[in-house]
Amino acid sequence: MTRWNDGTDATASVSPDITDETNALPAKYFTDPAVHEMEQETVFSRYWVYAGHENAIREPGDYFTRTVGDRQVIVVRDKDRGMRAFYNVCAHRGSKMVDDTPMTDPGNANGIRCPYHLWTYELDGDLRSTPRSFEEAGMNPDLEDEDVPRLDPEENGLREVHLDSIGPLLFVNLDDDPMSLAEQAGTLKEELESFPLEDYELARRYVSEVECNWKTFSGNYSECDHCQANHQDWIEGISLSESELVVDDHYWVLHYTHDEGVEAAESLIEGEARFYYFWPNFTLNMYGNADGYGTYIIDPIDEGRFQLIADYYFKDAELSDEEKEFVQLSRKLQEEDFELVERQYEGLKSDALAQAQLGPNEHTVHRLHLLAQEAYDA
Amino acid sequence: MNQRERARLVVTCPDCAVRKAIDDVNEAVAFHRRHRAITGHDVEWERAELEGASIPGEDLRSVIAELEARVEGGVPLGLVTVAMGERGMTIGETLDAVRELRMEGKLYEPRDDHLRVT
Repeated sequence: MTRWNDGTDATASVSPDITDETNALPAKYFTDPAVHEMEQETVFSRYWVYAGHENAIREPGDYFTRTVGDRQVIVVRDKDRGMRAFYNVCAHRGSKMVDDTPMTDPGNANGIRCPYHLWTYELDGDLRSTPRSFEEAGMNPDLEDEDVPRLDPEENGLREVHLDSIGPLLFVNLDDDPMSLAEQAGTLKEELESFPLEDYELARRYVSEVECNWKTFSGNYSECDHCQANHQDWIEGISLSESELVVDDHYWVLHYTHDEGVEAAESLIEGEARFYYFWPNFTLNMYGNADGYGTYIIDPIDEGRFQLIADYYFKDAELSDEEKEFVQLSRKLQEEDFELVERQYEGLKSDALAQAQLGPNEHTVHRLHLLAQEAYDA
Repeated sequence: MNQRERARLVVTCPDCAVRKAIDDVNEAVAFHRRHRAITGHDVEWERAELEGASIPGEDLRSVIAELEARVEGGVPLGLVTVAMGERGMTIGETLDAVRELRMEGKLYEPRDDHLRVT
């Protein structure tokens, strides 16, 4: 049931089953700055978070950085062509080492060097070398050069971050002892790996800042009940009534079937668009009528703002006119959604509503809210 | 600053085709930093009007010196990017030039993201 902020401060837990009651996550979890802080630990430091696409760093030494909350990792291809991730923090005195390096403009280095005192690390994270001032004690009268302890390369190496992948999609986990990515992804891993995602190149990245909580946008992405009223160009040619929502433990997928006569990409299931949401903040968007796919990263900035990082992958990074037009349509849909979620967030911020309720076909949104509640309570 | 004036501050990334209305000039700097960290793109002012007469001076330091006479507590970095934007510089180009002057000791920050000439 809907609960207004009528002085009773009454809210309930998210309904365990949407066939019973339909309680949404209480509104304060969308608007409270303390919740944003809590989520850095309970959500973004515990679950697997999308870092980037392997195709962006093909050669040994190629790297990019990815910031999750206030923590930044370096994702690098090592000399054995394997993928690794490290905190962007020097083992010497904690300096940030490499500058912000987006996946769209990756760097290359044969080692990771901290500019502060020039400690240099191998691509596997081991300490490679330090300047002579760390090997000799010429300025310290209490210590002889031969008494300076040798630094063990491994013990003084970089702090590695758990990294795993679904096809070419790289995920990191900041927890010391996380559940496996396979466990979090469930059947999503096998399903996505059945598509040739690695055959596509990053062609466009659009980044937008939106004035609402990240979960507000995530909820909007997870249902299409709003599409008839708000995305009239998009729903043309799509049979909404034929669509199907599948909900698994940590992901859900919205299938939409195109009307007859709409051509689909050969590499995707013909006539079908698929929108995967992978908890906590990653989506993969297969449009059905385009030979390519998109990903969204829904990164919180604070409790009232998030960044939508929208990446588009096509067979060739140079887009055809048709592909450019397609990306523009996608941007238009984003703008339409931004207006909707900012409007919703204005209402949530007004403090009139203590707890919303979900519709019977919003079981994907329900799953999102339930996962958030579980993370907070864990 | 009232609501109508707020809408007059808009930054844009031409590469991303995104626009952002902001409340305060220094928010443009924060937006630029976040945006550049993720995309490598530079951000520009689409719309921003300085109150009063336009700022004389061609080089960055003299522009900051002129602005210093108009505001207390140091010149907001965002305001400098507006003035230099009128001279054709992007926000990123202005921030790079400010850093260079700071490294030369010609500017200092009395507080975060506010500038004074030395």
